[in-house]
Amino acid sequence: MPLYHQYVFLTVWVLCVCAVASSEGANVNLSVSVESPVLKPAAVEEDSSAPFLLLSAFPDDLEVSDYCSELLRIFGQRYVAYVNCLVPSARPVKVCQNCFGAYGSLVATYMNISSEQLGPGNESCRDSLLRSDRLMLVYLLFNNLKDLWTKSACDKCINDRFQSLTNDTLYFMSSLNQTLTCFDRYQQGNHTELCKNCKSAYKGLNELYSSMEKNDSMCIDIEDGMNMTRRLWSKNFKCSFPREETVPVIAVSGFMLFLPIIFYLSSFLHSEQKKRKLIHPKRAKSYASSLMNIQDKQS
Amino acid sequence: MANITKKVSWSSRADESSAAGEATPLINGSEKRQHDGEVRGAVFQTGRLSNVDLEEITSDEESHRGHPKEIPHNEKLLSLKYESLDYDNIENQLFLEEERRMSYLGFRCLEISRWVICGLIGFLTGLIACFIDIVVEQLAGMKYQVVKENIDRFTEVGGLSLSLILWAVLNSAFVVVGAIIVAFFEPIAAGSGIPQIKCYLNGVKVPRVVRLKTLVVKVCGVICSVVGGLAVGKEGPMIHSGAVVAAGVSQGRSTSLKRDFKIFEYFRRDTEKRDFVSAGAAAGVSAAFGAPVGGVLFSLEEGASFWNQMLTWRIFFASMISTFTLNFFLSIYHNNPGDLSNPGLINFGRFENDSVAYYLYEIPLFIAMGAIGGLLGALFNILNYWLTIFRIRYVHRPCLQVMEAMLVAAVTATVSFTMIYFSDDCQPLGPEHTEEYPLQLFCADGEYNSMATAFFNTPERSVRSLFHNQPGSYNPLTLGLFTLTYFFLACWTYGLTVSAGVFIPSLLIGAAWGRLCGILLSAISATGSIWADPGKYALIGAAAQLGGIVRMTLSLTVIMVEATGNVTYGLPIMLVLMTAKIVGDYFVEGLYDIHIKLQSIPFLHWEAPATSHWLTAREVMSSSVTCLNKVEKVGTIVDILSNTSTNHNGFPVVVSQSDSAKLCGLILRSQLIVLLKHKVFVELARSRLTQRKLQLKDFRDAYPRFPPIQSIHVSQDERECLMDLSEFMNPTPYTVPQETSLPRVFKLVRALGLRHLVVVDDENRVVGLVTRKDLARYHLGKHGLEELQLAQT
Repeated sequence: MPLYHQYVFLTVWVLCVCAVASSEGANVNLSVSVESPVLKPAAVEEDSSAPFLLLSAFPDDLEVSDYCSELLRIFGQRYVAYVNCLVPSARPVKVCQNCFGAYGSLVATYMNISSEQLGPGNESCRDSLLRSDRLMLVYLLFNNLKDLWTKSACDKCINDRFQSLTNDTLYFMSSLNQTLTCFDRYQQGNHTELCKNCKSAYKGLNELYSSMEKNDSMCIDIEDGMNMTRRLWSKNFKCSFPREETVPVIAVSGFMLFLPIIFYLSSFLHSEQKKRKLIHPKRAKSYASSLMNIQDKQS
Repeated sequence: MANITKKVSWSSRADESSAAGEATPLINGSEKRQHDGEVRGAVFQTGRLSNVDLEEITSDEESHRGHPKEIPHNEKLLSLKYESLDYDNIENQLFLEEERRMSYLGFRCLEISRWVICGLIGFLTGLIACFIDIVVEQLAGMKYQVVKENIDRFTEVGGLSLSLILWAVLNSAFVVVGAIIVAFFEPIAAGSGIPQIKCYLNGVKVPRVVRLKTLVVKVCGVICSVVGGLAVGKEGPMIHSGAVVAAGVSQGRSTSLKRDFKIFEYFRRDTEKRDFVSAGAAAGVSAAFGAPVGGVLFSLEEGASFWNQMLTWRIFFASMISTFTLNFFLSIYHNNPGDLSNPGLINFGRFENDSVAYYLYEIPLFIAMGAIGGLLGALFNILNYWLTIFRIRYVHRPCLQVMEAMLVAAVTATVSFTMIYFSDDCQPLGPEHTEEYPLQLFCADGEYNSMATAFFNTPERSVRSLFHNQPGSYNPLTLGLFTLTYFFLACWTYGLTVSAGVFIPSLLIGAAWGRLCGILLSAISATGSIWADPGKYALIGAAAQLGGIVRMTLSLTVIMVEATGNVTYGLPIMLVLMTAKIVGDYFVEGLYDIHIKLQSIPFLHWEAPATSHWLTAREVMSSSVTCLNKVEKVGTIVDILSNTSTNHNGFPVVVSQSDSAKLCGLILRSQLIVLLKHKVFVELARSRLTQRKLQLKDFRDAYPRFPPIQSIHVSQDERECLMDLSEFMNPTPYTVPQETSLPRVFKLVRALGLRHLVVVDDENRVVGLVTRKDLARYHLGKHGLEELQLAQT
């Protein structure tokens, strides 16, 4: 069974190529397959999906088996599902909490593809799907999403086997919600009211976050939630601490800066200056006269 | 008989009390006037020495009190305190006999033990560096944690001035401890120690500079001052520590601990010790910066008089071992044992590949930055020069010095706090937490005060964050203010009575204004992405500033290149350092040279002053030399040695033939003292035929702390005995005729490391003696050739 997406893509591509320079494209294809027989399977895979192309289907033993094609199809479906889930969760970031299930099933399929285990018909899809060509599309696609997953540190918020969110995460989310509802309630009108009333909730959330930071048990969802809340708190509602102790700080530092001046003055005035006693070296008698002459000779 | 140390009181106390006797002029022929009671009593106890003066007016010294010959301390003096080291082997009969007895195998063994010692030096230096690093990190971490918690708490409830006081008090407490141990126990451990090591390698015996006690004080002192938040680094002291380790290990014993391991006895003389000390200094540099090649070049640039290929290779070995040891133990400390790729106390971190790129059109910019570095460095040095003069003249009592250090610490904390408090530069916390102790203060939650990364951190970390933080983590105002304040703080701090180096503060100042330059450049040219990386300019600025202050060239280039691990920057760094040196030298000397001068040390530069060709040995030498006869009366020798007014160290030995006395050798004070100690008198030898012959070992056992003459008792009867010096004197001393020009004499003394150079007439009669101080007093000043004056310090 051909892959739908690839099918469409390749069709378009092929049509373009044909329209522009069909002979050239054929040459390329042919020359590749002639020059390096190793790459043949790749050519097979590509071209098998375009039956009306120059090359007809490869012989059976180079074809991808039905089993593997099926796996590939499922992989595609799940891939699409996951990406479809990711994009709407991009802002505010909820990629972990919304899409962990989709990612879990994607990983499961990929595991199937890449496992050493032989499927029915004594074949391994790993070689045929993953590493038969230079592009290694399946591998590349999966790796992109895997990188995304690692980068967002979602593992920290999800239980093993992608079952559910961890308790910590759930707890954090609930207290985040609490804080946000509090913000909502007092948003109208004076912000000082808000700062006062939501302080305990916000502070609790902040502390929770710091403790999680120490445990290193945070995913991007939590970080982003906290960041947004903090920005709301500090920038929108302006509940940060004001700088209001300027006078005592200036007084204390003025005093401190004054001390060395006193110190140096007093040591200048009271400490006796250290004097050095000069010593006349013994020189040859002629030396004295020559010393006189230094200036003369110099000039 | 084996160990003289047991018999005489060699303790440092005895030797200090006789400082006037021992630590004195190598100038033969110069007499010095004693003014009791005027000088610091602790060091000088001249009163108890007998003043048997020959010709001069020591008896009425009281009348000299108000004499104009007493002048305030300045840079144009040479102190009598400093002696020369005996780099030239004393090739007397004993020495030659021993050398001839030694087989080829014996020399091989010596060579091997030299390698072993170098390995040990590297290992121990690396260990010390590791120790300092870990302790500083722990203590500073604790301090910053406490202060940070305090600030966080008081930001909320109010009372930040209390945090300020807490910070100031903590800083002062650490610094006071450091200052007390330095000021009261070992003043020579103050400062970075690089000037002292430079002098040692130059051939000046700086008293107590390579003792175990100095090492201990140095290490503890540097920990205290870095933890105390002063604007200092721990790299300079590392070099000193390495040198002390080398001087200790190579002797196979510790005089301070009174332990003699009976090994490496062959190396107990100045020549061998110097070679090891240069290896130690190199190992110190290498541990401090992770720059083994830089270390080797440092000791060649600063120390060695001539290039010895085998020695260089050994020095390199010591450097490598030192870096390796440091790496190894730090890797264990950081919980990934075996990772050896993170060298150096200061680690500038690796520069990313895309940020190292530089183009031809940037070279003029780099050179301009070098010029700025030279100017700022000169300003730094001039300010520090005036400050140091003031300190020497007025702040010379230990308790005042401790107080000054404490005040500096408190003010440093205050200034830092005020800067942080009034800074409005808030930056978002990075994901990888490059900021060790982020202070929030009045910033929005999730942001930190950018000024605090510069001030609220150990200087090394600040340097690293200036090099590597993302573009945009500092705003220009922050950097400008930081440069300004840190410049003055660092300038004020250097020269305090704490052990601390100037490398890191210089780098920090430079990195700050360099980064500022980078930011401004990228602001001017909005298009060019090549300007975008301010870290590169921070590095160039750091190099420029450091070069402008210390004026090192070759070794500094290599150190910077090695510390950044990036040879791509070799060319710009070299250009920058050259420019900085040229610009800076136009105004004032390097910081180390200034401090050497201010300590009145007779330092010999590479060359004689340029316009000194018209001077000859006759004018340079000290004249009317005290000579000894080949067979001399003990009483005469004792009198000469105990005469405090003519405290010579080398005595030409002459044979009197008819009317003239011809030179036949040279003998040192230390040798005479050992001879007196062992009572090697002609009469005794005759009466006791079985008496053991004095060996070279006896001289080595006494090295390096020969007892003062006062501790040797000679009875009336013995005074009448005779001493035969022919076996012990150096029968082949270097001599020059009177007409030799000063540059020629200079070259001889400098290159061979001579201590005494006898000036003879055409009949080989002694007419004078040239020593280090006779040569060092000429220097090229603003008005041509000037002469430094000798003074008591």
